[in-house]
Amino acid sequence: MSTEREELIRAALEFGRRAFPEDRPTGEAEGEFNRAGWKQLAEFGLFGMPVPASHGGLGLGLGDVIAVMETLGYAIADQGLLFSANAHLWTNVIPVLIYGTAEQKQEYLPRMASGEWIGANAGSEPDAGSDIFAMRTRAVKTATSYVLNGTKTFCTNAQVADVFVAYATLDPALGPMGITSFVVPRSTPGVTVGKHIDKMGLRTSPMGEVIFEDCEIPLANRLGREGRGAQVFECAMEWERGCILANCLGVMRRQLEKAIAHCQTRKQFGKSIGKFQSVANRIVDMKLRLETCRPLVRRIGELKDSGKAADLEAAMAKLYVSECYVKSSLDLIQLFGGYGYTTEQGVERDLRDAVGSTLYSGTSEIQRNIIAKCLGL
Amino acid sequence: MDVTEMKNTVREFILAEFLPGESSANLKDDTPLRTSGVLDSMATLKLVSFVEDKFGIEVEAHEAGVENFDRISDIAALIERKKGA
Repeated sequence: MSTEREELIRAALEFGRRAFPEDRPTGEAEGEFNRAGWKQLAEFGLFGMPVPASHGGLGLGLGDVIAVMETLGYAIADQGLLFSANAHLWTNVIPVLIYGTAEQKQEYLPRMASGEWIGANAGSEPDAGSDIFAMRTRAVKTATSYVLNGTKTFCTNAQVADVFVAYATLDPALGPMGITSFVVPRSTPGVTVGKHIDKMGLRTSPMGEVIFEDCEIPLANRLGREGRGAQVFECAMEWERGCILANCLGVMRRQLEKAIAHCQTRKQFGKSIGKFQSVANRIVDMKLRLETCRPLVRRIGELKDSGKAADLEAAMAKLYVSECYVKSSLDLIQLFGGYGYTTEQGVERDLRDAVGSTLYSGTSEIQRNIIAKCLGL
Repeated sequence: MDVTEMKNTVREFILAEFLPGESSANLKDDTPLRTSGVLDSMATLKLVSFVEDKFGIEVEAHEAGVENFDRISDIAALIERKKGA
């Protein structure tokens, strides 16, 4: 690891511990978005890390951003906030960075990179989840604009978003080739944020419906070529799948340390419970999972930083890390016994947060489909 | 680049991306791609992007159907038409 990356990790750890002390309530029970925390992440520079300096960012490589995310996941209890940050980075910042015109980059990237604007992805629909390209939201082209009509759901950050990267079809008969993507500021007439969607975990990350009703978008707000929105979406998903669990590696590291400390000090039958083989084995499995997950995520950084595609690797990382994250979260509760089931210890929150990881950005089943396809099956 | 080189370039891409491990001898110029399930709609989109980048052409959405993307020979013919236009 380079000295610069080590320094970055040290800075992220120091920042995370200082700005997010463990005993500070984060509105988890109420499901409140931590706007103050978002501003702190913005001041730390998180949202501009993958953005070139010419557009207001820090111009870091993805490997560096992943290292920072892992460290923040370790230092910060509020994974909902980091989930919102991930959604903003991978489904808004990156698509605009890769597919945006010079004017779009100039208009949106500085505000996205500074965290002044929060981005949300408007892709999924009630009947288009895993089968995303079955979307019904229509875009009708006029001489000067596109007019969007349709309802999106499961939009992370919807309630707090200032801008949406949205997807709609110009012609359902064209399948994926009919999908086009757009940058839609929230202030655009015809954009409404619908009902809040309450979740079992990641509760501080808002989620809701976004409704487009005769929403007229200038032609200049089309993101990428007409009919190539599927490509934009797949690109965003590749980045998201590969990177969204970096902070979860940090959680798994924190869980491991917590498990070891607990099992060394908690005594039953006259000795620390870690001396019981069946207890120790759980911790060994947690350690193995962490060490086998980490290279998969770091590999995404290496591939992307060298300009290579990472479809297969991102799907493998997403599948494996999410399933390990759930297992380790369950193990931690088991190691804490009845105390782990209470809300006092905070370990049950990790499990509630972890379960979503096997669902968002493509379920585990979809990741397996992608991997199988990459293997020629 | 002549038409044989075009076909081989497309063939190599399809083999590498969608048929890893398959022999190039089994992917002939007239092997069905879309109608046989080798290429689904997303794979076709990926192939379209490759063809555009590699050969410096633009393929419209309505041109990416079975009529132009079911066989390597069809794809090469489309590229020739586009380059000649």
